[in-house]
Amino acid sequence: MDEQERKKRIRRTTLIVAGIALSFYVGFILVGVLRS
Amino acid sequence: MATTAADLHAAEHEDHGPEKGLKRWLFSTNHKDIGTMYLIFSLTMFFIGGAMAMVIRSELAVPGLQFVHPEFFNQMTTMHALIMVFGAVMPAFVGLANWMIPLQIGAPDMALPRMNNWSFWILPIAFGILLSTLLMPGGAPAGGWTMYPPLILQTGDAFPFLIFSVHLMGLSSIMGAINVIVTIINMRAPDMTLLKMPMFVWTWLITAYLLIAVMPVLAGAVTMLLTDQFFGTSFFLAAGGGDPVMFQHIFWFFGHPEVYIMILPAFGVVSEIIPTFSRKKLFGHDSMVYAASCIAFLSFIVWAHHMFTVGMPLTGQLFFMFATMLIAVPTGVKIFNWVATMWRGSMTFETPMLFSLAFVFLFTIGGFSGLMLAIQPADVQYHDTYFVVAHFHYVLVPGSIFAIMAGAYYWLPKWTGHYYNEKLGKLHFWLSAIFVNVTFFPMHFLGLAGMPRRIPDYSTQFADFNTIASIGAFGFGLSQLIFVAVLLTAKKGAEADDRVWEGAHGLEWTVPSPAPWHTFTTPPKARIANEAFE
Repeated sequence: MDEQERKKRIRRTTLIVAGIALSFYVGFILVGVLRS
Repeated sequence: MATTAADLHAAEHEDHGPEKGLKRWLFSTNHKDIGTMYLIFSLTMFFIGGAMAMVIRSELAVPGLQFVHPEFFNQMTTMHALIMVFGAVMPAFVGLANWMIPLQIGAPDMALPRMNNWSFWILPIAFGILLSTLLMPGGAPAGGWTMYPPLILQTGDAFPFLIFSVHLMGLSSIMGAINVIVTIINMRAPDMTLLKMPMFVWTWLITAYLLIAVMPVLAGAVTMLLTDQFFGTSFFLAAGGGDPVMFQHIFWFFGHPEVYIMILPAFGVVSEIIPTFSRKKLFGHDSMVYAASCIAFLSFIVWAHHMFTVGMPLTGQLFFMFATMLIAVPTGVKIFNWVATMWRGSMTFETPMLFSLAFVFLFTIGGFSGLMLAIQPADVQYHDTYFVVAHFHYVLVPGSIFAIMAGAYYWLPKWTGHYYNEKLGKLHFWLSAIFVNVTFFPMHFLGLAGMPRRIPDYSTQFADFNTIASIGAFGFGLSQLIFVAVLLTAKKGAEADDRVWEGAHGLEWTVPSPAPWHTFTTPPKARIANEAFE
């Protein structure tokens, strides 16, 4: 795997994982909004 | 082999080492330096949290109120827990991860080195803010580390600082977890397939996924607390139509996986050490991976066992009880595999192995008391008693902290290039192992006899066991100073060779001791990587 390809993969994995984290944050606040 | 950016980087930097002075640490993007900073920070927090434990045990040494005001006692229990969980245990494992994951997978550094620097430096700020609350009007938070509303909303000026510091801790953990996942997924040595990864790397990969899923949930919960306090919402306020029990559900959806965040990397450390000092391969490597994954999955569906006494439908009670008990199966697989690894091994008992063996025995005691607590009808009796305090301290002290100590002793010669003082190490182990039991074992009896947790005074019937526990706590606390002596003399021992331990296997042992500032600037050859793991 060349360095360019590796960087692309690193960026993609970072975005996916950060997206999951953000969705858990927003999702659980939404649970609170819907329940209260 | 094609020239990579890492090669170019190495070529540009081979004439110089790290920056000099404070700049080296402030702006560091080197995984080893950042790992060292995490470990030193964690040890500092361990002593600050430990000092608070000494205040708690002094007050509880005899019945009656003698040293501190009850309000301050509550501040101590709350701060002790927050500091030990988020400041001592978690950063210690992140420090070990920073040091060892790139070395174990043959990577030149973490995938996102600048973010790595940021995730560390957020921590001293977060804990600076948290500790500053001790000096504020109304004192530090005193509602317990679980921050249950409406009690926590009665915190004085410290409240927004508590919420901000918890957000920062969460941010730091999430960034650290992103870094671990991205590094392991994208930067492994050629031909190192996932199932060839060392157990410490595996357990950290699983832990990082847990962190990604649950730290934002804690952040969401405390954000809602903040808006309830200052922005007129009623997420958890019954008077405004909110539901305080919902906070408990959300908190424990974070809180239970958090327990495994603090123990899975410990499993990883012990799984590295036991094979080395048994001079055998780890028994059932793949089954260990599946067991850890299984534990991680189950940790998401058992949260309400912390809330049996709140009240829930019978089906809920049954589900959470049986799901919790199910965790004993993959945990049992792990214990079996460690014992099977030692079986007919050529064992020696250096300090890391002693801490690992104590881990296997004493963590299992914590596991068994956890099984007792999982039984819903029995939990109604045990809930909020010292039995619970005994249970989670057995899991966290001779569990997580012993594993951290084992890991520190195991990899210290690789970090410093010298063997530590084995006599001091063993003295540290034996005193810790004795006093940890003197401290926490009597708490089982106190709990079963009905002594509630989080109280500064108690009935005279509980006096004897409390005195024993307090003596044990001071003994344990003082024993940890031996570890400081070991660290201060760490570079005075004999020089360590590359492999350090006779039975050690893995890529980290193929680099010189001490590990140079730059390692694996060119990925290790597949043959070397494979040999290291076979």
